[in-house]
Amino acid sequence: MKKTFTVGWLYPDLMNIYGDRGNILTLLKRAEWRGFDAKLVELGRGTTSQMDEVDVFFFGGGQDREQALVYEDLLEFKQPPLERAVSNGAVVLAVCGGYQLLGHYYLTAEGEKFPGIGMIDVKTEAGKKRFIGDVVVDSDIETITPKTLVGFENHSGRTYLGPKARPLGKTRLGHGNNGSDGMEGCLQGTVLGTYMHGSLLPKNPHLADYLIRSALIRRGVDELSPLDDSVELAAHERILLRAQHHQHR
Amino acid sequence: MIRKTAAVWAGKATGTLSRVSRRGGGTTLPGDVARAIDPKVLSKLAADLTRGSIVITGTNGKTTTARLVTWLLEGAGHRVVSNRAGANLIFGATAAALDKAGLDGKLRADWGVFEIDEASLPKAVEEIKPKATLVLNLFRDQLDRYGELESIAKKIESALGALPEGSTALLNADDPRVAEIGLGLPRPPLWYGLDDTSVAARELPHAADARTCPRCGASLHFEAVYVGHDGVYECPNHDFARPKPKITAKHIKLEGFERLSADIDGTRIEIPLGGLYNCYNVLAAFVAGRTLGLEPTYISERLRAFRAAFGRQERMEFRGRNLNLVLSKNPAGFNETLRTAVELAHGKNFLIGLNDRKADGTDVSWIWDVDFEHLKGKARTVVPAGNRAHDMAVRLKYAEVEATEPETEAGRALDSLIKATNEGDTVHLLCTYTAMLDLRAELVRRGWAKPYWET
Repeated sequence: MKKTFTVGWLYPDLMNIYGDRGNILTLLKRAEWRGFDAKLVELGRGTTSQMDEVDVFFFGGGQDREQALVYEDLLEFKQPPLERAVSNGAVVLAVCGGYQLLGHYYLTAEGEKFPGIGMIDVKTEAGKKRFIGDVVVDSDIETITPKTLVGFENHSGRTYLGPKARPLGKTRLGHGNNGSDGMEGCLQGTVLGTYMHGSLLPKNPHLADYLIRSALIRRGVDELSPLDDSVELAAHERILLRAQHHQHR
Repeated sequence: MIRKTAAVWAGKATGTLSRVSRRGGGTTLPGDVARAIDPKVLSKLAADLTRGSIVITGTNGKTTTARLVTWLLEGAGHRVVSNRAGANLIFGATAAALDKAGLDGKLRADWGVFEIDEASLPKAVEEIKPKATLVLNLFRDQLDRYGELESIAKKIESALGALPEGSTALLNADDPRVAEIGLGLPRPPLWYGLDDTSVAARELPHAADARTCPRCGASLHFEAVYVGHDGVYECPNHDFARPKPKITAKHIKLEGFERLSADIDGTRIEIPLGGLYNCYNVLAAFVAGRTLGLEPTYISERLRAFRAAFGRQERMEFRGRNLNLVLSKNPAGFNETLRTAVELAHGKNFLIGLNDRKADGTDVSWIWDVDFEHLKGKARTVVPAGNRAHDMAVRLKYAEVEATEPETEAGRALDSLIKATNEGDTVHLLCTYTAMLDLRAELVRRGWAKPYWET
């Protein structure tokens, strides 16, 4: 029997502003190309069905209006099964708005505090200037090659990490978490948060495989068969070249 | 008055210099210069118009619709000022008015037809004081430049709320975000929309197109979906619904990229433009034409002979291949041109040009919301081109579409296209704005297509 691999997409209709489908497609296709039976579970408002079958959850960014609608549902329906899944070894990739909502809180410019679900030890404050542009990160994840990650950021939130979370890596280009400490994203257990979209995973196939591998360990899969990533890595390389060009200017 | 004349002179001189030095069509810089001398130059020039103006905004279709309205007015013998080359900021509109102004500083024309970028609408409406303002749609577009759709919607809302007495808002009822704006206006707008479920889908093709009720937050239920999130919709709690359109297009017939026809307000309209998205543009132009005083029978007759706007959809022959150049700049637009090319025109050969310059949007993540999966098993040749050709190649790979090597230079992309196709083949070139300019410049260099400020 074929082994299954399941992706759970949190709020595909509301938290889907920056081409997040690219992340979903990349996870599904890379599992499918390796002979897994890849499945997608869409987790819209009001549903919790099949959350315990999910290997990798994806939680994207939304506009303010949609983010407010998602928040209540997250507390009411999704938080308990999500926490249960993560304690059982499921992986979460959260980008931008999703990243912020998984942290302790978001503090607005007016001083209003919106609590998050506190799954990761990060907090976010509103900033004045919006950070927009290419991002290149030198990753601290030991088991991936190449070590670089590339993406595009567009956020005004400033995210700060607590002691339980460690950064995904150092920014070589772009502003990252907060524009001041030179760090991007966070990794806490099997939860990965980041401001990088673009989409993130298509041009970072090594990170996509890292997430798939991390989720499948509990199913007794510890090695993924290699794929030809030349198309993806050529696109990755183009962004690195542009980054060099930026630095020389 | 002296200040206005000086501004007009300086602006006109800049335009001439810019054209002579071949630095493009001189489409916005003259506006910059003239406005520096007299910031009120556009409102003064607009006041010279004998009949008035119409301002056209929206994410997709501005240029084609403005071109259609201009075509209608010119055919009826009116002198028209319009900002043609997609120069749709306030400087572009000013430059267009300058171009038609005399050396006495007076604008000698009857109508102004201005396509205006959504974010510039409040200023444009304040200065131009149009007879009518047409809002086509509001899709997600160029997030890096604008931030969020909501902030754009708020700008349009404030512009329409400030329209003077006697100025009409012409709004697409099928667009939930436009409807939300229109329902809150002090004076009721004129609503238009499509009315033919035979050309509609039953559900939203993309999760990313979902809309929620502005009052209760519930996800809107769609009975019909025409383009992107435009269709017939209703809040499940009955808090919000599509306004009933006064002017509709029924019995729509689509023939590839070649032509379309429809019954608009009871008049049969036929036009050599393809795709359902153009049906919206034609309907909008009809509504505009009626509002500006044109008769339905005249509109019908005049539209039959229409030619497409520069690069929006353009055909040329290149080394025996029939090239069909179509601007495709955001998910809603791209999905429609792709659908038209694959399903209606049975296209086999494609060049997909993706650039990430400012005019295209520097964030290319939107390509993941375009259904390139449509090409799977149907396309014979696909050439990824543009300065982000490599991203396009990745997108195609994950859609499981066979593609050639990505080519970032227009010349090499064309060479690759020629190599992969045969004489007599039709090729669809779907490109973002500057990718299209690059490709067109290369075609001009190789002796095909005229430079754009001459068309």
